[in-house]
Amino acid sequence: MKKRNKTLLTLFASCVLLGGGIVSFAARAGEPYDVYNYDRWGEAIPSQAGYIADRVVSGYDLGVGAMSAPSDIFCDHNDIFYICDSGNNRIVAADSDLSSIVKVYDRFTMPDGSVTTLNKPMGVFVSAETGNIYIADSENSRVLVCDTDANVVMEITRPESDLYNGTFLPQRVIADKAGNVYVVLRNITTGAAMFDASGEFTGFYGANRVEPTAEIVGNYIKNLFMSEEKKARRARNVPTGITSFDIDGDFIFTCTSSSTQTTDTVKKLNAAGKNIFASKELAFGDYTPMYDTSQNKVLQPAICDIDIADDGNINCLDYTTGRVFQYDKDCNLLFITGTIARQVGGFSQVSAVESLGDDLYVLDSQKNTVTVFVETSFGEIVHDATDKFNAGYYDEALEPWYEVLKRDGNYRRAYIGVASALYNRGDYKGSMKYAKLADAPRIYNKAFEGYRMEFLKANFGYIAAGLAVLIIGIIVLKKRLKKRKPAAETAAAAPAAENEVSGKEEE
Amino acid sequence: MMDLTQKQWVKHAVMHPVEGFEDMRWKKSGSLKIAFGIVLLLFIAAVADGRVYGFQFGVAYDKTFNIIPYIVKSIVVFAAWVVGNWAVCTLLDGEGTMKNICIYSAYALIPYIVQIFICLLLSHILVQDEAVFIQAVRIIGTGWTAILLFSAIKSVHQYSFGKTVFAIILTIAAMFIMLFLLVLFMSLIQQVYIFISTIYTEISYRVRV
Repeated sequence: MKKRNKTLLTLFASCVLLGGGIVSFAARAGEPYDVYNYDRWGEAIPSQAGYIADRVVSGYDLGVGAMSAPSDIFCDHNDIFYICDSGNNRIVAADSDLSSIVKVYDRFTMPDGSVTTLNKPMGVFVSAETGNIYIADSENSRVLVCDTDANVVMEITRPESDLYNGTFLPQRVIADKAGNVYVVLRNITTGAAMFDASGEFTGFYGANRVEPTAEIVGNYIKNLFMSEEKKARRARNVPTGITSFDIDGDFIFTCTSSSTQTTDTVKKLNAAGKNIFASKELAFGDYTPMYDTSQNKVLQPAICDIDIADDGNINCLDYTTGRVFQYDKDCNLLFITGTIARQVGGFSQVSAVESLGDDLYVLDSQKNTVTVFVETSFGEIVHDATDKFNAGYYDEALEPWYEVLKRDGNYRRAYIGVASALYNRGDYKGSMKYAKLADAPRIYNKAFEGYRMEFLKANFGYIAAGLAVLIIGIIVLKKRLKKRKPAAETAAAAPAAENEVSGKEEE
Repeated sequence: MMDLTQKQWVKHAVMHPVEGFEDMRWKKSGSLKIAFGIVLLLFIAAVADGRVYGFQFGVAYDKTFNIIPYIVKSIVVFAAWVVGNWAVCTLLDGEGTMKNICIYSAYALIPYIVQIFICLLLSHILVQDEAVFIQAVRIIGTGWTAILLFSAIKSVHQYSFGKTVFAIILTIAAMFIMLFLLVLFMSLIQQVYIFISTIYTEISYRVRV
């Protein structure tokens, strides 16, 4: 509380100092939270901001009246934003800089000419191939596929399949290049329902695994000794269902918002539904959940939405802390943006994240606004360096990495980048230095191997000569000692005896 | 026969795993000073192993440096071994005094300490692919110390082979019991500390009002 007061005070002071004319600058001067990142040990350390809140867009700014509990935002291939205005039962399409409205979708024409409306739509998606809009019309238990003129092309309803049981409440929907439709459903834990291009149910896709906690393992062992009737009455072990997903080319990224589950919170699925991240030891969200004294609860991360940017970066939205965790495509944490606050750049209840170019868009379902984050110059350099580094252009990435280090000496990835680049160039000594600073033993090991080879090549003559001298010296010394020994032995006997006597006295 | 200086006794005991300690006992030799020196070296080796090991073989957490774990790893474990062994073997008709147990056990540690320093040196020369050499040195050094320690206990108490095994197992059990009591004691002290600090806080609030 004290801290917030202080920040407010500084903000106020800066506003006063700068005068009314440049207030917008003052609002952009700093984030209403402490920007942090994680070091090699998983400990939070202060860092530079990669994104900064630029402005907040509400329904009034768009000229469509207040939005109500918006649940999803999607940016299509023409850079048009589709905001799923859930409480008002409509889809709002706005232009790329969110300044004016393109169209409001609230009435749809069915193929037979009748008009239909939405009931609590939760998700929206636009296919780049066909240009069709896919709407997860939750309370109507259907997925609407329509063209941009609101003419319904297809309607997907609850599948009449033995495989499918339970209600059909679509939450999110996406479609792949081939026109297959994937639907995330509420209360369905067996993965996303998959439909082919003609709307036929073809099965489930990408279910989460059950986390092997002590309780689950205990239950499994107990179940071995139980009768079928008893088993049927016991609580079943089911994984948490998928919360949201995004598609990037051939891969579907899913996220699961659960305060208890820690495995499979973010997955990268291939066409067969196999999780590519499964083999890696990855953690998404905060490594060490913070204990919030004002709410008396542990802020366990719950990734409620995921977005894959054009450059392959993964944006994960954490519902609990209101933060966007941005990872590069190899799941290295880049930036942490946002917070729970009543200021620009803060949220009260985040629901969706989307990206366009270098900007991030975060939807708040309680403030009913879209917050636009723009990349800072630091963020730009980091992204530039990361892109080059991940593409294998270590040399080209060297300059940006140096620039990153100038601005933030704690940025570990930069040290790794520099170490890798220097190793590529054959500057083993420099690479070792930076690998040590990055706490990266593997790179250090490679650089050291090269350095040792160079050292041996350069100094082989000296080393060989030194070894030869040492061996000859030892041989000569031994011979001399042997010659002396018969003479010394009789002389040494007397003092040795004395020593022993004195030793006994000490005891 | 066997007129050796204290330093020569160290060498003799280490290089003769079977007979060395018997000879030392027969000659009533061994110096407590050297034993303490060895334990100090063990402590230094533990710290060096943790802090200046070759970087390519892993990173030490160097944000903070806490000396307590290193003391526990070396000196406290050694002391617990000596006290535990003395306590057990007094009951098992062992002939060793606490001083002798300390001296003999310390002498037996020398290969282990040497092994640590050799590995430390190698870790700055070798790369990860060649870690097998370090492993070999480590196994040899540790094995040697194990044999010496066994021989030391056997000769200091004048036990048979079987009884030595029994005594060593009991000693390890005794070490665990000591550890358990120590933890118990620590938590008790903590409770008392909290109790007193609570009373202090309570009183200080009342006094102010």
